[in-house]
Amino acid sequence: MKRLLALSLWLWMAVVIWAAFHWAPLAAGFKGESSRILFFHVPVAWVSFVAFMTAGVESVLYLAGRRDPRHDRSAAAAVELGQVFAVLATVTGAIWARIMWGSYWNWDPRQSAIVVTMLYYAAYLALRQAIADGPSRARLSAAYAVLGLVVSPFLYFVLPRLGFSLHPEPVINAAGKLEVESRMLAVLTASSLGFTVLFYWLHALRRRLGAVAARRDEGVE
Amino acid sequence: MGGPEWVTAVNLIIWTGLVLWISRLDRKIRDLERER
Amino acid sequence: MSSSWAAEAAAVFVKDWRCELRTRHAVATLALFALTTLLVASLVLGPIGNDAEMSRRVVPVLVWLIVLFAAAAGLPRAFVHEEESRTAIALRLAARPSAVFAGKLVHIATLVAAIEAIVAPLAVALFDLRVAAAAELVAALAAGGLAIAAATTLLAAIVAQGRGASTLFAVLALPVLLPALALAVAATRVALTGVAEGNLLTLLLLYDGSVVVAGFLLFPAIWNP
Repeated sequence: MKRLLALSLWLWMAVVIWAAFHWAPLAAGFKGESSRILFFHVPVAWVSFVAFMTAGVESVLYLAGRRDPRHDRSAAAAVELGQVFAVLATVTGAIWARIMWGSYWNWDPRQSAIVVTMLYYAAYLALRQAIADGPSRARLSAAYAVLGLVVSPFLYFVLPRLGFSLHPEPVINAAGKLEVESRMLAVLTASSLGFTVLFYWLHALRRRLGAVAARRDEGVE
Repeated sequence: MGGPEWVTAVNLIIWTGLVLWISRLDRKIRDLERER
Repeated sequence: MSSSWAAEAAAVFVKDWRCELRTRHAVATLALFALTTLLVASLVLGPIGNDAEMSRRVVPVLVWLIVLFAAAAGLPRAFVHEEESRTAIALRLAARPSAVFAGKLVHIATLVAAIEAIVAPLAVALFDLRVAAAAELVAALAAGGLAIAAATTLLAAIVAQGRGASTLFAVLALPVLLPALALAVAATRVALTGVAEGNLLTLLLLYDGSVVVAGFLLFPAIWNP
């Protein structure tokens, strides 16, 4: 990534961090200052979804096109990063749960759903480990990642809404009205944007590293 | 626990460190790409 | 290809059932696991259908755990015997991938329906269940069963190609089945108690449809290297 882009990203998130603690108001119904964690928890959860969707799209491109290994490497990189962000989402969520309701874990539908998601993509990585042949590995894990395009939206958006949830109402409720005060929304959006750019930067690095490794393997053979 | 200034400072330090570290990774990968 | 798609799919379905009836391997495994767990549960719990609270909280998840357990034990080999007996090559030549998928999907769906046809009436009898809405119960069993069948057909194909053990199947299948089972359990609870809980069946059928469509789209890539 160009020096300028990196600097811009740094500056952007620096402002977001400042705004999260000094400019945005506190959310109603949250204990003390704990609503500030939202500005990191929500974007990070969102980015994990973006990552898994990216993996699905790259897998479609792999299967539907010329079976270009670059798409396969891109998908695998996206899944790895998706898991990292999912873990961050789980951890920040658990910290916040501790503050709000006294315990780190409640098996609340949203907490359960993110765990199932992580299991799904852990299975993806396990599948890749189990297949030695490159093209087969790419083809079969791509199929699983494409299935993920169906399963993930259910896990992120449908399952959490079933039954009682300790989680507060989603930012945009069924009527489409914005429940969140505009300053909060601004910081939330800005933070999400920053984390998304961060994801794509890390994704590009992981892809490129995979390409170098692949070239090295070819050279050895 | 310190006030908002303290938390902000800690976050900024972590963030800065992260960006510097990723930039270094970027440079290393670029070197690896160039040598091939 | 001179034969129609439907004829090819039907041929795959008939062949699978013919093999199954000859060896009775899958049916036996399914029945064994389903009946054993059902009987153990019945032995320990007794006629809990009398207790409304137990009916609401325990019975739905129990029924689906039994079905899931039996399916996970008896179904994953759906493609393995094909690869092992080398008939896979003949199958690839004889039928289009989507027809193979359709034939196998219906075969596995009928197997799941068979387990449920055994488990459900026995559960009602052994636990002395009061079913508020029988039609709802059948719908829940069908919709949940379809989810199990669709996911199993697709994932078994993946695992068979990858030289994976059936442990890999379980690892892949659990996250796919969990949303469907959560919905199916809730729908079963609604059928038993009679208390509505929102459009669960609609969501479940939506999920089923999505997985089936994904299966049709992905199977050719899985089946043909």
